[in-house]
Amino acid sequence: MRHAAAANGPAGPADRADGPRGSIRRLHETGAGVERLLAGLALGLMAVLPLVDMGTRWVAGAGVPAARPLVQHLMLWVALLGAGLAAREGRLLALATPQLITRAGPRRVLRVLTGMFLTAACALLFRSALALVALEREAGTPLVLGIPVWVAQAIMPAGFALVGLRAIVRTSDDVPGRALAALAGAAGVWLATGPAWLEAVPAWPGVVAVIIMALLGLPIFAALGAVAALLFLGDGIPLAALPAESYRLAVSPTLAAIPLFTLTGFLLAEGNAAHRLLRVFQALFGWLPGGTAVVMVLIFAFFTVLTGGSGVTILALGGLAFHTLRADGYRDGFTMGLLTSSASLGLLLPPALPLILYGIVAQVSIEDLFIGGLLPGLLLIGMTAGWGIREGLRSGTARPPFRAREAFAALRDAKWDLFLPVFILVAIFGGFATLVEAAALTVAYAFVMQAIIHRDIARPRDLGRVLTRASVVLGGVLVILAAAMGLTSYLVDARVPMAAVEWMQQRVHSPLVFLLLLNLLLLAVGCMMDIFSATVVVVPLLVPLGLAYGIDPVHLGIIFVANLELGYLTPPVGMNLFLAAYRFERPLGEVMRSVLPLLALFAAGVLLITYVPWLTTGLLEATGRR
Amino acid sequence: AQSVIKLTTLVPDGSIWHRILIEQATEVRRSAGGAVEIRIYPGGVAGDDPDLVRKMRIGQFHAAALSVQGLTEIDEAFRVFQIPSFFESPEESFHVLDELTPLLRQRLDEKGFVLINWGYGGWAHLYSKRPLRSAAELRARKMFMWGGEERSIRIWRANGLQPLGLASTDIMMALQTGMIEVLTTTPLAALSLQWFRLVPYQLDPGFAPLIGATVMTKRAWNALPANARDGFIRSGRVAETRFRREIPVHEERAIAAMVERGLQRTSIDAQARREWDVLVDGIAAGTRGELVPADVYDQAVRSRARYRASSRTAQ
Ligand code: NA
Ligand code: NA
Repeated sequence: MRHAAAANGPAGPADRADGPRGSIRRLHETGAGVERLLAGLALGLMAVLPLVDMGTRWVAGAGVPAARPLVQHLMLWVALLGAGLAAREGRLLALATPQLITRAGPRRVLRVLTGMFLTAACALLFRSALALVALEREAGTPLVLGIPVWVAQAIMPAGFALVGLRAIVRTSDDVPGRALAALAGAAGVWLATGPAWLEAVPAWPGVVAVIIMALLGLPIFAALGAVAALLFLGDGIPLAALPAESYRLAVSPTLAAIPLFTLTGFLLAEGNAAHRLLRVFQALFGWLPGGTAVVMVLIFAFFTVLTGGSGVTILALGGLAFHTLRADGYRDGFTMGLLTSSASLGLLLPPALPLILYGIVAQVSIEDLFIGGLLPGLLLIGMTAGWGIREGLRSGTARPPFRAREAFAALRDAKWDLFLPVFILVAIFGGFATLVEAAALTVAYAFVMQAIIHRDIARPRDLGRVLTRASVVLGGVLVILAAAMGLTSYLVDARVPMAAVEWMQQRVHSPLVFLLLLNLLLLAVGCMMDIFSATVVVVPLLVPLGLAYGIDPVHLGIIFVANLELGYLTPPVGMNLFLAAYRFERPLGEVMRSVLPLLALFAAGVLLITYVPWLTTGLLEATGRR
Repeated sequence: AQSVIKLTTLVPDGSIWHRILIEQATEVRRSAGGAVEIRIYPGGVAGDDPDLVRKMRIGQFHAAALSVQGLTEIDEAFRVFQIPSFFESPEESFHVLDELTPLLRQRLDEKGFVLINWGYGGWAHLYSKRPLRSAAELRARKMFMWGGEERSIRIWRANGLQPLGLASTDIMMALQTGMIEVLTTTPLAALSLQWFRLVPYQLDPGFAPLIGATVMTKRAWNALPANARDGFIRSGRVAETRFRREIPVHEERAIAAMVERGLQRTSIDAQARREWDVLVDGIAAGTRGELVPADVYDQAVRSRARYRASSRTAQ
């Protein structure tokens, strides 16, 4: 950021000495500025268009039919522009392995290698997307308002090209390193044309190489995309099949709810919502033994519901929570463990993003998943809060007395924040809005609250910053989903799900044994993959299995998400572990040790959720949905 | 070496349509002496109809058993089969479809696809939360429409209807919450997806045929040995006859099963008939040249007139 300010400022002597380099940098900065503007605009429009559609529907009885397809395609733009920005800031999600390497030599070699693979993967995806756009242009399918579909799709090759170019620049500070990356990119483009001899070459050595690179820090999306591309190439299937599947997911009608709910989380994280909530929960529950710990569990769950456990919770609230708990006399180890694991709580409560994604991929009613996840979600939160109370009782931490006046004042101050979950539930289940519209309404609520009532977002510039930040995080996640879809498409094409069902049914006959195996499998998946790509890749394999063993599809979904909640805390891809280590400035090993007891607690909860289906289906039956 | 034809479709795994496709695949393999294998991907695992069309264009899949939704993605001419109450009976729509086949086959060919055989998903009806007896009652209700169908929505609105563009995944929620009150679907879908519980009134006679077709890319077709193509055409003819004969039987059974569980059948009142005809004629006229190519529309109207004239003489 400081770099950006310098480049935009008046040209100093150093700049003049730089000559052409300085102007290239300025051009680069302007380009990034345009990208930020476009990404922010796209995300903002995604929130505004459904509101306009609803508004005209209520006022004039007729909505704006173009709104829906536009929102769906804006999603594609947010994803790729966001990914481009994430690449620029070096924030593409990846394993943090390189940080474990301390010696400069191997570190540099690894950086160049990673850059080469990343560039090659982007080149493959770029060329594949270009082929798709060309085909779509030939077909000439219209989107809306006279815009053809291919124009909306054109952001895919453009986005991958941007990420690739940035990968080249970031590969190395010197020319030879960058030249190597550029060479890898050229190889990728050439490979994407599917030279005939490829069909005779086995895909696995390439796949293994990519997986090794992923473990060494190659961004996850690039690894997924490259593996899918290599598998497709090995079977002689045109690579446009890969972006076609990414496109299919991106424009699926409910997916737009994910960026919108995330944006709500970012609007809240801006400003003082966390302090208001902390104050009110503190006033209400602080007097309990372990009260402050319980309060943190609740606040973290509250935020994670909205941000989807993308790590925003730890980054936004981690510091504040850590200092508050320390001031109240909690041990650092306990605090770290509690906060790191609390950040993945809430993934089972509406409108949690993993549930939305699961509903889309498995084609299960998202509303049913929301209802089904309520008790399991509350169970895990209750267990974690119980852990906090236990600590409070054992170590006699501070217990401020309950004061009615303070509680009342805090409630009044935070009433709009506290009403938000109620608002969301009414919007989702009220029957006047689709899920995407409910999400857009939630954004509007959060915006009005932060901008007008609390004036936390006072200037347009603040809003712009929130939109850009959200789109960078979203881009990082969505581009993973896009690449994961390509891999799934290959698995379906190779009929892996069918084979899995056959294989399993020949060997396992009891549904209970199947569930146990499922737990073990998902634990392994959670160790290796993030929750989003795991959903896209693994769920299509699980759904037919669940059907074959008579597991309720909503129950299967809740088991899946609950298991993967554990995955946030398990090495090596335990996202929250890395984020906590970064935020609390502690070694990764220390953070890992601190979460062990909670990991055991969560595991017990997950087993309960798995073997007591009533926890999931009970409310569904009570509401007449089963 | 054995060549593989990958065929995708939305029809559910194990359904009557899937079973007929499997028999077709067996027949083709037999005709080709085992040199051609058809690999079927049922249940929409590769996406909805528009995705399937895209994936055929890409070359990932070679063939697909599409519904009219996918066919319109290839060529707008097929929209003539989506016009509400354009046909009075399934037989009438089959007659027009058969007469238009050379034209449609050619239009598919120009877009790079070969028609193997027609399919038939059933006869769609209007299902509603409250009984429908007149155009006025239909105009007073919010009805489901496919989300992307911007132009259809405009035409329906111009005729005083209230279509709400939604995704198929939104249907259940929208019916449960009353966001929509009217849905067009086939009896088989209404039963298997349990929609009829939420919209328990079925308006007779039906609304439109759910036609479909099995198509293959020209590229894949031209690469097939002649005996395999013969196998496709022969088994296609059998499949076509079976669809037209067997689906109505299944459909009757589905309606009976729903009636047993509370479905009620309604029809337009005699005195409201004229107003109803004005409504559906208005929509039909609105589609001509806007959704349906004018020449195709006119040919269909002429063919329909011939059918009606001959069936009147027959009576
Ligand atoms: Na797929
Ligand atoms: Na993990």
